[in-house]
Amino acid sequence: MYLALLELKAARGRFLLMGGVVVLVAALVGIVSGFTTGLGDDTISALRRLPATHLAFARGADSDQFARSLVDGRALDGWRAREGVRATPLGVSIARGTTNRKVEVDFAAFGIEPRSFLDPGSTSGRALSAAEPYGIVVSQQLVKDGVRIGDTLAVDRLGITLTVRGATGRSSYGHVAVAYLPVTAWQRIRFATPGVAATTAPPPRQYSAVALQAAPGADLAAADRALGTGTRTVEAAYAAAPGYTGERVTMTSIQAFLYAIAPLVVGAFFAVWTVQRQPELALLRALGASRRRLVGHTLGQAAVVVGGGTALGAALAAGLGLLVGSEVPFSLPGAALAATMGTVVLVGLAGTAVILRKVTTVDPMTMLGAGR
Amino acid sequence: MSLELCDVTVTLGRAESRTTALRGVSAGFAASALTALVGPSGSGKSTLLAVAGALLRPDSGQVLLDGRDIARLSPAEQARLRRTRIGYVFQSGNLLSGLTALEQLLAAASVAGRPPRAMRPRAEELLAEVGLAHRLRHRADQLSGGERQRIALARALLLEPGLLLVDEPTAAVDRERAAGIVDLLATTTHRHGCVTVVATHDPVVTRAADHVVDMTRLHTTSAAAS
Repeated sequence: MYLALLELKAARGRFLLMGGVVVLVAALVGIVSGFTTGLGDDTISALRRLPATHLAFARGADSDQFARSLVDGRALDGWRAREGVRATPLGVSIARGTTNRKVEVDFAAFGIEPRSFLDPGSTSGRALSAAEPYGIVVSQQLVKDGVRIGDTLAVDRLGITLTVRGATGRSSYGHVAVAYLPVTAWQRIRFATPGVAATTAPPPRQYSAVALQAAPGADLAAADRALGTGTRTVEAAYAAAPGYTGERVTMTSIQAFLYAIAPLVVGAFFAVWTVQRQPELALLRALGASRRRLVGHTLGQAAVVVGGGTALGAALAAGLGLLVGSEVPFSLPGAALAATMGTVVLVGLAGTAVILRKVTTVDPMTMLGAGR
Repeated sequence: MSLELCDVTVTLGRAESRTTALRGVSAGFAASALTALVGPSGSGKSTLLAVAGALLRPDSGQVLLDGRDIARLSPAEQARLRRTRIGYVFQSGNLLSGLTALEQLLAAASVAGRPPRAMRPRAEELLAEVGLAHRLRHRADQLSGGERQRIALARALLLEPGLLLVDEPTAAVDRERAAGIVDLLATTTHRHGCVTVVATHDPVVTRAADHVVDMTRLHTTSAAAS
């Protein structure tokens, strides 16, 4: 390693330049990774928080299920009667409202039964209660937007007024902050006609889905057939969240390109570097350096450049996350950062490995010139 | 240590450019003796050094170092031999670019598995002996050809090799400096009992040598490389 470090010092300009490129690639990978996770959280964190194993949608709703699916009360009752399954209704829709302090907000209305297993409780204020059918619990983003416990929130053009009872943690759906409310209130919002005065007639007993806690081995397929529903795991239902699949594909593609670029850039640099120093490598071979030592020497230099550059890139990405994390959907937990940067290091070193043959096949006779 | 070449033939190049650099060469080189290898350009002096230095495998014949045929060793064994027992001073292109004079020696110590920090005093001493005490921290590209050659010589001497092979050590230095280098080679040879073979055209070297071997007389025919 001594020799590798001597060369790094001697050619520090070139290595700093290369290290700078690695810093930028690593930082970009980290930033994209942060946005991938952040956007994902922003889209499905409310679904991820659901303590359910499956969601039963209306049969035939094969895409965009939260908007298209309507499951009736008969199906809910049917699911509740099944053995090995706990079932509770779930309503999901996007609404817009204005508080009594003139704060305008968009919110994802998650209709649930108070005290059911979907009830998120509250971190401040009070939890949902059946005794207060228009009382809601808002997520942190709404609090940040200016909604306070005790405020009233009038749903635009529907004549329905909700009261904020409490607040809970971060929870959003389709980039919109979630407000939890009793499912009866949700039904009124979902089935009301904008601009028409609210009626006292009960709304249709329908829901977006039935949330299930299924014991292992529970025959969900048979229940689906009997009840006219289509069940999928909660994780599979993420794709039903608006924009989730498109975002994932876009961000993952960018990440994949960066993972492809990293070894090419590092490999190209070390290929040129190796070709330039063929005489030095030949001299080292002539002095008795083993092939293994030359390989270690080259990989050592690559490890310093790639490892150092990646560490700085990671710091840059994490720093940016701290700076903008509260303003934009950016999330880069330590484990994700370590995994991402570990991958950058591995693909970077893989790029170097491609030119190792050039290192091991150098001829010490080069030192003598031809024909002497 | 002893070095003996027995009926060594080396051909270089490919197809129509193929030439015979050494043809049936046999020669012995004694320990504690400085042998000057003379002959016109292309007579095979550098090739003989390369064969003796385990850099080049002959087509036929034996290269016996202490009775062991080093021409038959594996590449890894030859590399180990070069870094532990052979000191080599090449005619040109012999320094690592970007490194200082002192670092050139410490890098060689590192290649041989010796701790650079421990070798530093001896490296500085050797550089002083070749007249470069004031150039320790100068990079190779800041030095003249003669200075570079002297650094290479100091590097070859650093690990006290049993076999010292030197290619034209005085080609790029003035007469006064040449005498100093030859004196250093002779002193090292006699003090450490090593086998020293110097390819040279310089009378300063041949005068100081214990033996002089004319390359043109070593070939079984006169068809050396041109």
